[in-house]
Amino acid sequence: MTDAQLLQLRDVTVRFGGLVAVDSVSFSVNSGEICALIGPNGAGKTTLFNAVSGNVVADSGSILFRGEEIRQLTPHEISARGARRTFQNGGLFRDLTALENVLVGLHAQVASGFIGLLFGNRSAAAEAAATRRARELLELMGVGAMADQKAGALSGGQQRMVEIVRALATNPPLLLLDEPAVGLAPQARQQLAAIIRTLARERGIGILLIEHAIELVMSVADRVIVLNDGRKVADAPPEQVRADRAVLEAYLGHA
Amino acid sequence: MSRVTRRLFWLIPLVLVPVPLLLNPYQQYVVNTALLYVPVGIGFNLVVGNLGLLAFSNVAYFGLGAYTSGVLMAHLGLPWWLTVIPAGMVGGVAGSIASIPALRGVRLFYLAIMTLAFGELMRWTYIRWEVLTGGSMGMAVPTASLFGWSLDTDRRRFYAFLAIVVLIVATTDRLLRSRFGRAFLAIKDNEIAAAAMGIPTDRYIVLAFAWGGAVVGLGGAMFAISVGHLSPISFDLTELIRQFAIIMVGGLGSLTGGIIGAVIITAAPQVFTSFPGFDELVFGLLIVLVILFLPRGLASLLARAHPAFVDRYYRD
Repeated sequence: MTDAQLLQLRDVTVRFGGLVAVDSVSFSVNSGEICALIGPNGAGKTTLFNAVSGNVVADSGSILFRGEEIRQLTPHEISARGARRTFQNGGLFRDLTALENVLVGLHAQVASGFIGLLFGNRSAAAEAAATRRARELLELMGVGAMADQKAGALSGGQQRMVEIVRALATNPPLLLLDEPAVGLAPQARQQLAAIIRTLARERGIGILLIEHAIELVMSVADRVIVLNDGRKVADAPPEQVRADRAVLEAYLGHA
Repeated sequence: MSRVTRRLFWLIPLVLVPVPLLLNPYQQYVVNTALLYVPVGIGFNLVVGNLGLLAFSNVAYFGLGAYTSGVLMAHLGLPWWLTVIPAGMVGGVAGSIASIPALRGVRLFYLAIMTLAFGELMRWTYIRWEVLTGGSMGMAVPTASLFGWSLDTDRRRFYAFLAIVVLIVATTDRLLRSRFGRAFLAIKDNEIAAAAMGIPTDRYIVLAFAWGGAVVGLGGAMFAISVGHLSPISFDLTELIRQFAIIMVGGLGSLTGGIIGAVIITAAPQVFTSFPGFDELVFGLLIVLVILFLPRGLASLLARAHPAFVDRYYRD
């Protein structure tokens, strides 16, 4: 256990009434590491994810982000601390343009107090700077041409890119991606894999990834965590997980 | 270019300055009524149109603003201008209180009913708190004054109203064009994603309700001296429907829409005053036609006509 650990979960348990959705799960994600969370439907992946992002409050255990306990914090507090997420489907603001979506991502950067806003003019500069940055980022991810289109009118792949840009806009140290490859064509998947790798390797972002597309997981993940019935059944590099007996059981129901 | 054109809108109040010279006292009264309904529409629209929350407590802020102004004048002998800010503040506090169910996650029809109940509770309060309000008989509002200058005619009140309304429109426009307006639309679109982007959604919901309540309260203060007599019946469900019609006809989520709606809903029935009962027919017909052919209100028509009319975060 070193200080380098970006995100650390210890005995995290989430209950919904009598159902134990996540049962005493522990693991950690380091800076620059790509960690994939896999498991059959209902295994508790999304619930665990929600516990980290604050959308669900874990009943017990501890979730440390950069050494700070975040288990009971609200989603906007966790986001402000630098753990940003994307959503499984339709996480964008459909009525906002791609650019405006990213600007919402930069909301805290466009600092203008309520009173200052009404009587001053300082917010204009911050807004202009944020707009420039948002356009640059969209350009960088190959969706610059769609900047002024409503997000709801973009293709599935473009929406996914805009959502990733929006999450990344604040340079967060931790990125939580909930099934980013869903509905993407094979070529777009490869592109996505390349982006994820770049983010981790070159920018040192820690990435926690839920994904069903197993070939994507195997090609990008440094470590694969397998959940089954809310419990962690494996936590190892991809090649090792592939051969793991418990994993096969989780997926196929027999050895 | 459209930004320059938009700045020209600020000439509209200037153009309005000589208008009273052309009007008889009754017409002036109607124009004043349209003016005071502008903030009523804007405040209502902020919560329902921009934030997308079905809160029907608008008449509560309106009535509280009116009674705050009237009671302070009648019982404490304050001049009207000193009661305007308190009326706005009471409206703002009432707005914050009305946001509590929304903060607890109450939405849609449930929120509509709870906020509607808040408005009715206020009406009950005006009836019961006779010492202050005169109960169901109502109360007379003393003649208003502004810095010692008597606002005893509709023409004089017009200029005071115009100044207040311009201030409200200018500040709300700024608010809605800023990151706050963007955050409201984001919350309306997808509240969970907005929170995930670091927006303290609860705080913004309170802000929208409080700002909306405050400007509607200011409208109430204008209403108090415009009609000169306050009674609970002015703040009933019919009044709520009228205020709702303002934002429906004007255009949900559009500042321009709130303004146009206030003018149309006030002016349209006047055209037919010589035929008793006809005004209600016009009112009803107007709503049906707009919903059928312009579901996003007259604002959407203007937006199509010229980009200068499109509010930054208005989406049709």
